[in-house]
Amino acid sequence: MGVALRGIRRTFPDGTVALHGLDLAFEQGEFIVLLGPSGSGKTTACRMLAGLDVPSAGTIEIDGRDVTSLPPRLRGMGMVFQNYALYAHKSVFENIAYPLRVRKFAGDAIRSKVQAIAAMLRIEPYLHRKPAELSGGQAQRVAVARALVWEPAICLMDEPLSNLDALLRLQLRTELKRLHRDLRKTFVFVTHDQEEAMTLGTRIAVLRDGRLEQFEAPRDIYRRPASRFVAEFIGRPAMNTLDGEVRDRRFHAPGLSIPVGERSSGPVVLGIRPEQIEIVPAGTEGAVPLVLDVCEPVEPDVLWFLRAGDRSLIVRGTHDDATAESGRTLHVRFPVAALHWFDPATGARRP
Amino acid sequence: MTPGTAWRRIAWAVLAVAVVIAVTPYVWLLLTSFKTRVDILSPEPTWRFAPTWANYPAVFIGKEYLPLLWNSLLIAGFSTLLSLAIGAPAAYVFARERFPGREDLFFFFLTTRMAPPISIAVPLFLFFTATGMIDTLHAVIIAHTSFNLSLVVWMMRGFFADIPREIDEAAQMDGRSRLGAFLGVVLPLAAPGLAATAVLCFILSWNEFLYAFLLAAFEGRPLTVGIPGLVTPHGTLWGQVAAVAVVATLPIVVFAMLVQRHLVRGLTFGAVKA
Repeated sequence: MGVALRGIRRTFPDGTVALHGLDLAFEQGEFIVLLGPSGSGKTTACRMLAGLDVPSAGTIEIDGRDVTSLPPRLRGMGMVFQNYALYAHKSVFENIAYPLRVRKFAGDAIRSKVQAIAAMLRIEPYLHRKPAELSGGQAQRVAVARALVWEPAICLMDEPLSNLDALLRLQLRTELKRLHRDLRKTFVFVTHDQEEAMTLGTRIAVLRDGRLEQFEAPRDIYRRPASRFVAEFIGRPAMNTLDGEVRDRRFHAPGLSIPVGERSSGPVVLGIRPEQIEIVPAGTEGAVPLVLDVCEPVEPDVLWFLRAGDRSLIVRGTHDDATAESGRTLHVRFPVAALHWFDPATGARRP
Repeated sequence: MTPGTAWRRIAWAVLAVAVVIAVTPYVWLLLTSFKTRVDILSPEPTWRFAPTWANYPAVFIGKEYLPLLWNSLLIAGFSTLLSLAIGAPAAYVFARERFPGREDLFFFFLTTRMAPPISIAVPLFLFFTATGMIDTLHAVIIAHTSFNLSLVVWMMRGFFADIPREIDEAAQMDGRSRLGAFLGVVLPLAAPGLAATAVLCFILSWNEFLYAFLLAAFEGRPLTVGIPGLVTPHGTLWGQVAAVAVVATLPIVVFAMLVQRHLVRGLTFGAVKA
């Protein structure tokens, strides 16, 4: 079963445009992540899928059928909310059972389905409790159970981990991945956290200001970011990007000049991931001397912050590369194959 | 004695005075209802007397005031139900939907309570005469609903606003329609607020005199309208007045005790948060 958003536009009553004609299509069983900073339109896109918000223009199709004007209950989707949205007056069991009761399942079917999903999410001991007696992690597990218990084809999750503390977030993240593997349902997951997106998604849709920047597998996005924005948004520490220009087979930026091979001259943005800059002995061919500013040990690696003009270049290395002494000069090399090029005006990727 | 405890004692003293002022009339009312005519009219008020039960049967059976109690219950009960049935959905829309003129319309509900009640008495009287409803329970129920409605809208909006929007949305994802989400999930979650509002509506309707007196002076009159009937050319039957008043206040006292916690929250929170 395929889902397609075609030319989805959403203008809010106050005139702000949340989505400028979004096109997005995905297949059954994928784990789609909608990633972007706040105001990028990712939550709006998710709510359009759910039917909780209506597009100003464009259509939404499920299996080729236009569902744009269908209410949420007829779309066959479950949803998990950031603030859990559990029914405070019902027990955990009744919360999970609610979609089944609304859909008129028989009593014993309800019991067995609730038990099964509760076992998967390890919340069986809390079935008799009220939501107010649960921790954040337990509450969100209940919300996930409620969204999945009736086996919808698609499960939407709007920042489900954002209200949890760091350790719990990692735990639940792994559990969601396992759940997706076991249930083989389509998951659509909204987040602003690039690490969550990278670890969970089979494909990531990177959104910015209501526009789709890139929609590919995490690996491809990491290796070939479609724009400067994606390059800087995906990966931590962020990709180094430098404004400069190419002249005479070299890239020139304030405080920096590196050989880049045959390229047409002109202003350009150069990008390179911190782990792809090499620290080399002085005198190595193509090496550039840079002054060490600070170093941050992120065991087992080290982040070296090197001064390049008024900018800082981040290099991810190991303790063996150099000694952490502020003011020392390090020699670094920028492998030509690891360089990314972006248009200085539009930010679009250049070959 | 530290300043803190000194203040505390002063606070208690002030509180004690307030309680005495508030409760004394009721205690006196209660005592009066058990007094004989002689004790009531004695020139020196007395706390000690030989109690009599006679006032209660005299008025409720002898003067056939029992149906008035029933009228009071019907009027207060149905006007409360009607106010909630119309007002709660309206309040929900005010809490959830954005539409032009929302705040103006919301304020309009309040302004209906700003005019002195007597100012719309004549229009009401003419309306109910024209529709043939004068001197029926219906007239009083509708009149009371007209002022309780604004109370319901004002109080319930705050209670609904306290319930996260995602709750409605979760219910819709779980297979409910918009109306189904309201009835099945939002309304039960707002039950404490609904109960507090209902009690307040009931009390206001139960205590109301003016409209009831104008619109149902005979057949459909409630207890409040019955009391002036005990002021006779031969003098006021204070013992029976007190007996009726005790019965009329009893349900209010019980209700207030039951929901006082929600009532305080509803009156402050509901009004402020809206």
